[in-house]
Amino acid sequence: MTKPLVAIRSVSKHFGEFQALKRVSLDVWPGEVMCLIGASGSGKTTLLRCVNQLTAIDSGGIWLDGELLGVREQGGRLHRLTEREIGRQRLKTGMVFQRFNLFPHKTALENITEGPVQVQGRKLDEVRTEAIELLRRVGLAAKAESYPAQLSGGQQQRVAIARALAMKPMLMLFDEPTSALDPELVGEVLAVMKELAQSGMTMMVVTHELGFAREVADRVVYMDQGAIVESGQASDVLGAPREARTKAFLSAVI
Amino acid sequence: MKAAPTVAEGFPDLSGMRLAREPHWFRWLGAALIILVLAAIARAFAGGQIEWSYVGRFLTAKVILEGIVNTMVMAVLAMALGIVLGVVAAIMRLSPNPVLRSVAAGYTWLFRGTPLILQLLLWFNLALVFPTIGIPGLWTARAVDVMTPFLAALLGLGINQGAYTSEVMRAGMLSVDIGQYEAAQAIGMGRLRALWRIILPQAMRVVIPPIGNEFIGLVKATSLASVIQYPEVLHNAENIYYANSRVIELLIVAGFWYLLVVSILTPLQMLLERRFARGTMRLAR
Amino acid sequence: MTRLSLLLGLAALAAGTSARAAELPAEIKQAGALKLTVNSTYAPMEYRDPATSELVGLDIDLAGELAKRLGGLKITWSETPFAELIPSLQTKRADFIISGISDRASRRETADFVDYLVTGPQFFVLAESEAKAAIDLCGKKVGTTRSTSFPVEIEKWSKQNCEAAGKPAIQYVPGENSIDVRNQLKQGRIDAAVQGSETLPYAQALEAGKYRIVGEPFAKGYQGIMFRKDDTALREVVMEKLTAMIADGSYKAILDKWGLGANAVATPLMNAAPQ
Repeated sequence: MTKPLVAIRSVSKHFGEFQALKRVSLDVWPGEVMCLIGASGSGKTTLLRCVNQLTAIDSGGIWLDGELLGVREQGGRLHRLTEREIGRQRLKTGMVFQRFNLFPHKTALENITEGPVQVQGRKLDEVRTEAIELLRRVGLAAKAESYPAQLSGGQQQRVAIARALAMKPMLMLFDEPTSALDPELVGEVLAVMKELAQSGMTMMVVTHELGFAREVADRVVYMDQGAIVESGQASDVLGAPREARTKAFLSAVI
Repeated sequence: MKAAPTVAEGFPDLSGMRLAREPHWFRWLGAALIILVLAAIARAFAGGQIEWSYVGRFLTAKVILEGIVNTMVMAVLAMALGIVLGVVAAIMRLSPNPVLRSVAAGYTWLFRGTPLILQLLLWFNLALVFPTIGIPGLWTARAVDVMTPFLAALLGLGINQGAYTSEVMRAGMLSVDIGQYEAAQAIGMGRLRALWRIILPQAMRVVIPPIGNEFIGLVKATSLASVIQYPEVLHNAENIYYANSRVIELLIVAGFWYLLVVSILTPLQMLLERRFARGTMRLAR
Repeated sequence: MTRLSLLLGLAALAAGTSARAAELPAEIKQAGALKLTVNSTYAPMEYRDPATSELVGLDIDLAGELAKRLGGLKITWSETPFAELIPSLQTKRADFIISGISDRASRRETADFVDYLVTGPQFFVLAESEAKAAIDLCGKKVGTTRSTSFPVEIEKWSKQNCEAAGKPAIQYVPGENSIDVRNQLKQGRIDAAVQGSETLPYAQALEAGKYRIVGEPFAKGYQGIMFRKDDTALREVVMEKLTAMIADGSYKAILDKWGLGANAVATPLMNAAPQ
């Protein structure tokens, strides 16, 4: 009787007039690799950002590892958590951004050691050893002293993945990790993500890379206009979609 | 078999010809005219009622040299205070807390909105409002004993500078991509730590040119402290001409030193900019 | 021969007489007005009346009376900082300077003074101060306007009266103007202040009972009307009119109006200040 790692219940979010999420409910199980697909504006990125609270939800609830995110229930009302508590909750997730967002004034190694040392208060020596190991794992051991400006897009994204992993999260969030990369660099990043999946990390990936989804995802979720339209095994959703809208979307992107 | 594409006939190969140098007659004419005007101005200055011997005599006088040293000391210290206050005010301005935001906005409004000379006079004459300062029981002192010309000048110039610097800082912080802040949040950093470790260092690059500019302005603004008896170079030059009535000559002496200082600071600022830009443009692969 | 020398003698006498009945310079006569400039921060000599914003003062009244007697001339007044007065004279922006300026040897390089008012630096303190005589001020902080000749006067007096008697010297504290100096006195930054004796009655009237004069003026000097050295004609005609004003009492009347009857001179002097 395992519980889902992430439990999203009736979550809604609007930006001004625009309704980005309409009472979305979803479970993500431990060790699962879930790919979120859909057109831009479908809400998939918003949903991802709600999980690590970069975006605050309007209503509903998200539980991570059994803990309610961002608010505390008390006396029938919800009270917002302090910035400090939210920061602590964020430590359980690692995020990889579409535009990498590496810290340009720090080397690759420093980017990776920054979080563990500054936020988790760990000793620099042991963090550095782990960081070098992470760089080796993503294939960039030689680039430890390089600055982001000296790295290609694919290399930067791999460092970004290592940076997220250094915090030892239980869930990795990927927001279109290869969309900003030149085609010939996409493969190296997907390879790292595949290795990560095979090592048992729970992953939520917003992506347009259907090939990756087909190969690596345990579940594919198709969203449109703020709601989940279809969800199931990759082979089902991508190979034999039930919904008309799913079909239309897939035929447009293939 | 040639790999280059074949091209049509009728267009000659000019690759052997070079561009001719243009004589630019009007540029020479313009330059000559400007030189003539400058020469005429120089002649007027040389032949007018200015006694240049006084300029020479006082150019390196002890009180003048002390004055320019005091000018530089005050400019550096006031700028340092201004930067500290500016960073704090900018961070407060971007805070989610409306009280902090209002205080910072009020500080900027008040100290940018009143003349600097007024602020200097108010600090110096603080004792008219607060005859004693301190914490009752712990430490008190007469305001006039604490508020020396040096301290009044430092507070007046520094706090005023902070109001301007806070806007520069705020613009610098806003110029940093929001993705940087989000990445810092994603690894669990709180707002202040993210600002200090990630945003501000990047903002510095954008902020150095206007700060360098403000520093040069501040060097000259220190001359206002002469009215509260801070012995910077204008004050000391004034004391000399109060005694010998050589107003223009002594003002030229002071002007020479200001010009010299700014002439040194300007290329220094460029060096500083280039050094910080190097951080962003590490191109070697 | 004798008739020639007699004619020459008569001619010289005529020339001499016409020189004594001095003539107003042509440009001024033509313009019908005097260009004068003052540093209008020096009550009661020249200042802007806070109630009406008008330019008033002893110098204003004296100049107005002189202008009348010089053939009904108008006066075009302008205002400059104290340090600009002498340059204004040198560049001919002003025909002469009557602006509470002291006759000093250091200023006589390019100008001549017609002295018209006795003055001298004087110590004063807050009414509640313990200082009773000038000697009580040895070792104390005394402030005055730094652009005047008073700092030097204080130092001299201190050497002669304090240090010579084995007492500590007076500590001079500079101020920007007489209002600034009085402010510093009120705040306690200085123990005593020095101002020209001609300005003290006005200061006391402004803030009744606040200040107390200590001792007599400790140096004697004169306020002078300042002329360019080569402007002898104008200087002489003004001196003539001033002498007439003293003789018929209008000079004393103006001085009394401003409370400075005690500072009168018996006759206008030239470059008479001791240093």
